Amino acid sequence: MGLPPLNRNKGISFYTNCMTNCAGFHYFGPRLFRKKLKCRINKHCCSLFATDRPKLAENYTEDTWLKLRDAVGAIQNSTSIKYNLEELYQAVENLCSYKVSPTLYKQLRQVCEDHVQAQIHQFREYPFFCTQHCQEKSLDNLSFLKRMNRCWQDHCRQTIMIRSIFLFLDRTYVLQNSLLPSIWDTGLELFRTHIVSDSAVQKRTVEGILEQIELERNGETVDRSLLRSLLGMLSDLQVYKDSFEERFLTETNRLYAAEGQRLMQERDVPEYLHHVSRRLEEENDRIVSYLDQSTQKPLISCVEKQLLGEHMTAILQKGLSTLLDENRVTELALLYQLFSKVKGGLPTLLQFWRDYIKSFGGEIVCTPEKDKDMVQELLDFKDKMDNVAQTCFARNESFINAMKEAFETFINKRPNKPAELIAKYVDSKLRAGNKEATEEELERILDKIMIIFRFIHGKDVFEAFYKKDLAKRLLVGKSASVDAEKSMLSKLKHECGAAFTSKLEGMFKDMELSKDIMIQFKQYMQNQSEPSNIELTVNILTMGYWPSYTPMEVHLPPEMVKLQEVFKLFYLGKHSGRKLQWQPTLGHAVLKAEFKEGKKELQVSLFQTLVLLMFNEGEEFSMEEIRTATGIEEGELRRTLQSLACGKARVLNKNPRGKDVEDGDRFNFNNDFKHKLFRIKINQIQMKETVEEQVSTTERVFQDRQYQIDAAVVRIMKMRKTLSHNLLVSELYNQLKFPVKPGDLKKRIESLIDRDYMERDKETPNQYHYVA
Amino acid sequence: MPVKKRKLPDAGDHEHRCKLSSLSRPHIRPVKPVGAVRSFSGKRCLTWFHEYAGPGTVVGPEAMAKFCEDVGVEPENVLMLVLAWHLEAANMGFFTRDEWLRGMTVLQCDCTERLQSKLDYLRSELNDAAAFKNIYRYAFDFSRDKNQRVLDMDTAKSMLDLLLGRTWPLFPVFHRFLESKYKGLNKDQWYNVLEFSRTINPDLSNYDEDGAWPVLLDEFVEWRKSCSAS
Repeated sequence: MGLPPLNRNKGISFYTNCMTNCAGFHYFGPRLFRKKLKCRINKHCCSLFATDRPKLAENYTEDTWLKLRDAVGAIQNSTSIKYNLEELYQAVENLCSYKVSPTLYKQLRQVCEDHVQAQIHQFREYPFFCTQHCQEKSLDNLSFLKRMNRCWQDHCRQTIMIRSIFLFLDRTYVLQNSLLPSIWDTGLELFRTHIVSDSAVQKRTVEGILEQIELERNGETVDRSLLRSLLGMLSDLQVYKDSFEERFLTETNRLYAAEGQRLMQERDVPEYLHHVSRRLEEENDRIVSYLDQSTQKPLISCVEKQLLGEHMTAILQKGLSTLLDENRVTELALLYQLFSKVKGGLPTLLQFWRDYIKSFGGEIVCTPEKDKDMVQELLDFKDKMDNVAQTCFARNESFINAMKEAFETFINKRPNKPAELIAKYVDSKLRAGNKEATEEELERILDKIMIIFRFIHGKDVFEAFYKKDLAKRLLVGKSASVDAEKSMLSKLKHECGAAFTSKLEGMFKDMELSKDIMIQFKQYMQNQSEPSNIELTVNILTMGYWPSYTPMEVHLPPEMVKLQEVFKLFYLGKHSGRKLQWQPTLGHAVLKAEFKEGKKELQVSLFQTLVLLMFNEGEEFSMEEIRTATGIEEGELRRTLQSLACGKARVLNKNPRGKDVEDGDRFNFNNDFKHKLFRIKINQIQMKETVEEQVSTTERVFQDRQYQIDAAVVRIMKMRKTLSHNLLVSELYNQLKFPVKPGDLKKRIESLIDRDYMERDKETPNQYHYVA
Repeated sequence: MPVKKRKLPDAGDHEHRCKLSSLSRPHIRPVKPVGAVRSFSGKRCLTWFHEYAGPGTVVGPEAMAKFCEDVGVEPENVLMLVLAWHLEAANMGFFTRDEWLRGMTVLQCDCTERLQSKLDYLRSELNDAAAFKNIYRYAFDFSRDKNQRVLDMDTAKSMLDLLLGRTWPLFPVFHRFLESKYKGLNKDQWYNVLEFSRTINPDLSNYDEDGAWPVLLDEFVEWRKSCSAS
């Protein structure tokens, strides 16, 4: 603009005047101002402004002030202003330019103060009826709040209007003096000092607000805009935190503490969780609607603490088992979500989760009466828990790990039985006649089985039973699908290593080789001079791969013996160094029988064959006679006779009739035997496992474990020469793959000492030496 | 070790020891206080042996009884065990010629009197920990039936009574325990019982089940604890 530098104060105000005018408020007397401006610019003098000013009329200030005061009064009383607003604005400007600003400011402030001060009375007078009926009291409180709100709104509106009149003052004098509050701030200050800071008024206001909030929390509808406005007021007046928020949080705390206690008693856990979730939503909504944003964090954490934090353990104790039992995934997910918000929530949930699995699983495993269903229940249980971990617990790693840990713990609580039952389960799935599953389903089931199998510590028990069952399947021809068998085998190999499955693979190989040998044998037989009318099939089992069978001597009919000899000759001709041992328990045959009704073919075990063939020679035999003739051991014979005379297909009659075979019983051929099929299988007994078999298998595993312990001890001692007891024991635990008690180890060590494999040190009894 | 003078009744007749009146008639010789220093004679020792063994090469149980009577020690006295140990006798109730000669030479005894004078020394060996251990261990093979690896329970109990009966406070309890299922003790168990008696407190407070003790002793401790609990 090219104005000369002027006296600082005046210069600035001059400058500002220009700026202000240029910016806006053109309707506040521009013409007068411009004229003056022109004069000043033309003069170019420092003191121009000071000296060339036209003199104010003597009482100009006074009169102007009166006008202004009237106007302010009119605003304050909500009556119409007599004067033109432009005029008033100009008046302010004039007064300011004549250094009246400080006075003006003071006077204005006084007027405002007086007015504000007067407002308090309406609130002080407000009736305080302590004994009044609750509803009436709260109505009273509500109207108090409304009045307060109105007062505040009025005040704000009035202050704005006043300010717009006194804008010039606000933008010049006030701005220059940083210590002076602006008109708006003055308004706030006055309102705070004279209204809100009054302790009774403040108390009632805050209480009123709190009461409204409580009503809303109890389900009633309240005037939210009223609350928003009042809380905004407290915020603007900067008393929100001290006067309101603290009490609010205390009240909230109290309310939810009580509510938490009460509802934990009254409601069941799913209901409670839903309630908590709802409350949190409500409170968040409250923040958005009328509370100050700064309150959100403390408020939410307070609610979470009182409704969840205090009751974490109680909630889980009371309800987690039920939720898991009933598989209520929605509530479980909600539970997880809520607990993840609270400090220590997830760790507590994790612990209870783990304990639940351990106890539920422990029950499945340790109830002998329910052994039949154990494996299926385990599979179902694992599926269920997997699902929960996935859908409800957001696949949280630590939860999945806890589950695995828990499974491993409870499954091994009962040594040996789960391994045995899993082997049996797999057997039932791999047997022919199991029509329930398609190939893919079977694969999936086997995979799931492997997961459970992984948790078991004594896997050698599984191997023993699996091997036995596999042998039966292969030899009696009951295997459903070779592919399924091979698949299972490869899964086991993957899980336990090749050493575990090498014998099983050997069994399969034996079956293949036997097929080849039979082809050769058939050719050999064709070249023989005396053809036999019995068709012989032989399976050669490599001892060591297959389970061990107690050798039994039975009296075979001469034709069979002859055939066996022929085969033996043939076989040893090919493999001279080997020894063959016939296993009658595993043999089976197809017999052609002729009944009154017609011819039938009977698929029977070798023992059954021997018994039945007797009836070609005679009509009736006692059990003793049969025993002598066949040479079958008594227990076996009873079972055999039972299957022929007391089961579904009764090809023999028993005298006296009955389910059990007793000593004096006599048997004869049942000529009247009828059956709808031509070929009838009666050899199922071979597939069934007797109690003795089960016991002997388990015994063998334990026996085997003893050998392994012995071998391990000798191996270790041979290497180390001298070793203390504790080191030997810890080394053994490293090497042995099955669970073993320290007492068992000691027994084997003592046995080895007794057999002079090792000795104790003469001076230090807990040290051992290897004896070469 | 100073030789204690022993006075026996009727010290009248003095027969020259070199002359034997009869091989088959051993009788108590009157004792003469050992005044003159006479060195050990193997020949005399052998002669002495044959007083009991007769023409044979073994002192058997009957001769042993006479021998004990002559020496003045009961056959069941622990001193006999110590003596046997010195002789490295293989079987209880028997001394072979070689055992006799070797052992008595070590002891420098060629007659009853000399042996009698050694008895205190033998007794003192029981109080020496190392010697006692060896005697104790020796007792197992000594008293065992050579056809068995295991010492039968009755013999074991009496031997234990002999050796530990007076020194081990828990012995009566252990004795009662042994009446249960065990048919005998093997060498390892036998050796460890001594260790146990020496190192474990009577209240069993310092026993470690996970230590190298034989299972028999684990079971003893368990049995004892359950007895005192009930």
